[in-house]
Amino acid sequence: MRRVLSPLFFVTFRARLHLGVTVGLGFTVADLFADKKKREFELIDRILSGHHESFYDLIAPYERRVFMTAFDILQVEADAEEVAQEAFLKAFRSLRSFRREAQFSTWLLRITVNEARMRLRKRREVSLDSLSPNHEEADYTPILLADWREIPGEALLRDETRRLLSESIAALPENYREIITLRDVNGLSTAESAEILGLSQGNVKVRLLRARIMLRDLFVERLRSRTRPREATP
Amino acid sequence: MKLDCNHIWRELSNYLDGEISPDIRRDIEAHVAQCRHCAALLDSTHNVIVLIADERRLELPVGFSARLREKLQRELATLRPD
Repeated sequence: MRRVLSPLFFVTFRARLHLGVTVGLGFTVADLFADKKKREFELIDRILSGHHESFYDLIAPYERRVFMTAFDILQVEADAEEVAQEAFLKAFRSLRSFRREAQFSTWLLRITVNEARMRLRKRREVSLDSLSPNHEEADYTPILLADWREIPGEALLRDETRRLLSESIAALPENYREIITLRDVNGLSTAESAEILGLSQGNVKVRLLRARIMLRDLFVERLRSRTRPREATP
Repeated sequence: MKLDCNHIWRELSNYLDGEISPDIRRDIEAHVAQCRHCAALLDSTHNVIVLIADERRLELPVGFSARLREKLQRELATLRPD
């Protein structure tokens, strides 16, 4: 009988940290988050009182995440680095406006996404179609696979397959790349992603569904074209 | 409730994220056990998500942190946070 996948099977540590889970001797993940948040707020207080060098300590844990987010949206390393630098600078300049009910990381990623969007607009690489809300409302039928083994787990380990995945992500419309980056790469929650993108949680879910299915289909197309036998040439 | 393939597609993300009621989950699994296409859709989408999460580990460009610090140093010396 065919295996039925339980949602528990899909649990990844990053995306599914349960706030009540005990991770060590007498403290929980919630304690770790609270402690981290407290340390960040103390750093912010120091920066705002004139100790600007503390800004380096505040942002050090997020350098990679900010760069990755910018890169996934822009797909050009040099642009992603510039946008990351701009995002950190903007975060410094507007630090006083940071409302402390949000996580610093969420606020920082919102700045990053906005900076990356502005860069894309400057480059004029975004078609109006990819930004249209109708894009998400349109009916979409996923490519039918004859068998799930068309994307076998073992194949996912191969370098070339990883490259095909990168190409597939690059081929997604901008708004789909954003949501995949936030939810599936950075492991943010629906609520955090909604805050960053300025969307309702319902819209985040709809967009994520479309993005995941389209990404899968782009990936399948590339896998198929790679494995399709070449026609004989005269 | 008996679900059709369209229901499965609509609930795909919620199912994969575990954000779904036990009743709907049971209905989906009953459908998937009988439908090869939906089984393929669930499994392959799941595989792609796992691959993204586990393998999208780009390294920072060489010198990224140093260049960032250099740029920040110039600006932080003159700027004040608003």
